[in-house]
Amino acid sequence: MTTQRSQDEFVASRKRDWDELDALLGTGEPLHLKDGATISRVAALYRSLCTDLMRSRAARYTVDLASYLDALAGRAHATLYGAQPFHMPSLVALFRRDFPRALRANWRPFAVACALFFVPFLIGLLGALGSDELALKVLPGSVLEGMANAYSKGFDAGRDAGAGAGMAGFYVYNNVGIAFRCFATGILFGTGSLFFLLYNGLYTGVVAGYVMSAGHGANIWTFMCGHAPFELTAIVIAGGAGLQMGYSLVDTGGLTRTGSLRRAAPAITRQILGAGMMLLIAALIEGFWSPSSAPAPLKWAVSFVFTTLVVLYLALAGRGADRRRESASP
Amino acid sequence: MLKSRPSSDGGAATIQDSRRSFARAHAPPMTKRDAPREPLDTTTEIETPEHVRFRYHVAGPANRALAYLLDLLLRGGVLMVFGLLAALGGINAGEATKAAHGGVILLALFVLEWGYYVFFETIWSGRTPGKRVFHLRVVTEGGHPLRFGDSLLRNLLRAADFLPGAYAVGLLVMGRDARFRRLGDLAAGTIVVTEARHAVTARSRLDPPPTAAELRGLPQRLPLSGEELDAIDLFLRRVGRLAPAREEELAEMVAPLFARRVGGRYKSATRFLGLLHHRAHEHREKKSG
Repeated sequence: MTTQRSQDEFVASRKRDWDELDALLGTGEPLHLKDGATISRVAALYRSLCTDLMRSRAARYTVDLASYLDALAGRAHATLYGAQPFHMPSLVALFRRDFPRALRANWRPFAVACALFFVPFLIGLLGALGSDELALKVLPGSVLEGMANAYSKGFDAGRDAGAGAGMAGFYVYNNVGIAFRCFATGILFGTGSLFFLLYNGLYTGVVAGYVMSAGHGANIWTFMCGHAPFELTAIVIAGGAGLQMGYSLVDTGGLTRTGSLRRAAPAITRQILGAGMMLLIAALIEGFWSPSSAPAPLKWAVSFVFTTLVVLYLALAGRGADRRRESASP
Repeated sequence: MLKSRPSSDGGAATIQDSRRSFARAHAPPMTKRDAPREPLDTTTEIETPEHVRFRYHVAGPANRALAYLLDLLLRGGVLMVFGLLAALGGINAGEATKAAHGGVILLALFVLEWGYYVFFETIWSGRTPGKRVFHLRVVTEGGHPLRFGDSLLRNLLRAADFLPGAYAVGLLVMGRDARFRRLGDLAAGTIVVTEARHAVTARSRLDPPPTAAELRGLPQRLPLSGEELDAIDLFLRRVGRLAPAREEELAEMVAPLFARRVGGRYKSATRFLGLLHHRAHEHREKKSG
């Protein structure tokens, strides 16, 4: 058995190393920015610190020494085992492959979200077309009037780039915010996503129906057709991810609720990142292309191309790599 | 999913059931989560690949609220600067540029609301300016640094934690969790820890120094456990920061117990605990010397 040193002797003999490690760690800059000698020095100091920590516990040195060593070891551990927090290639892979795959693997919540959005959308649309009464029950008259007025003018004047940028900013703030909220509130056992999907479906349907019954149907549909493939799909994807999150808390598959949530988390994160990207694209289209003075047939042709692109992307992206992997492993 | 479950008429199910009832009858009552109860403390233990366990102090709601408020002020400040710039730029410009400025402000608002935390937690390894000031850091449950995806998830879920206002849901969930995790932390598998830098202080010395007469009453080897000596040590470190009456009151809670065990008497409980501490460490120093 080694002779036990007194705490003061122990501290005196080791303090220099601890101070050196403390200085090297600084405020926690990433280690890879430092030169090789420093990195190996930090690693060596960390290992000896681990020994010191165990020795101080075994020898029952005072509690504050243990806390000091704990805190220092924690900082050194965080620095040494620091993974690269942000990896550009994996973000590219996410959009090329992982996001559509995650969505296809979780098509059920997505299908439910589609139904929750588009059924109220149709009800609102048809109801508002049928009578103004339903529209007025859903939204105040002043809002509806404003909408009808906004779409009463055609696009002949177009919109200049400045106003386009202004509106794009608004759409990013408003629409991406709606989608993120629609997703996040899904953690309350899915109730939040349920509400936001139904509400936004009904809202959009009623507005479209009211504007149509006011006689500006061609305008609003021509305006919406450009960005809708991205925007509505993304909102539904976000809502579906929220529903999936809520459902993982209900059907835990034998895990704890937290464990079940953690298991679903990677797929959910991929879907919400993908939805976010689609919403940014939608905001750009909505700010610059949708209100432009381009002729309606061109807008509809573009809308058709966008819709095809979105469908093909979500249905096919990332399938090739799957096949390769399957053929590699018998 | 349904297919993989054992059918209710099969034998397997009955065996399982009887096993379960056996376990129920013979196991001590378990907590709801079937996991060993964590001690009621604000620390969490992490085991490293070096097989060293070290403890993090989990940050409580108060510290985190302070950091949040600081971040909120900072975000408000940045937004005001943007607003001022936009207003200054808009004076001489036409309507169109004004609209663009409005868009820029909304874009800034969006980035500040949804991107601020993710950005800083990603580049500063789990810290925002507010967390930095209050020595907080977000780490994963395994003690590893946060990555982009984790940060994104925990910060998107602020929208749920915030409901119905002022983080009411988040606070409620934190209060129910031993590691103060809000919904975002639960989903992303993260905890917020404090990184307060402790200083190694010299061992507390008795003032005035113990007299030979005082020490004579104490046995050479104290019949006290390591934990008890730790508790005394912790207490003595607080002496001087408490009111003398409160010190005495606290010391009085254990002093009679220890006095009975060492067979001594005391006038002041605080002084008595100091003497015990002195004797314990004097003993250790002698042994090493």
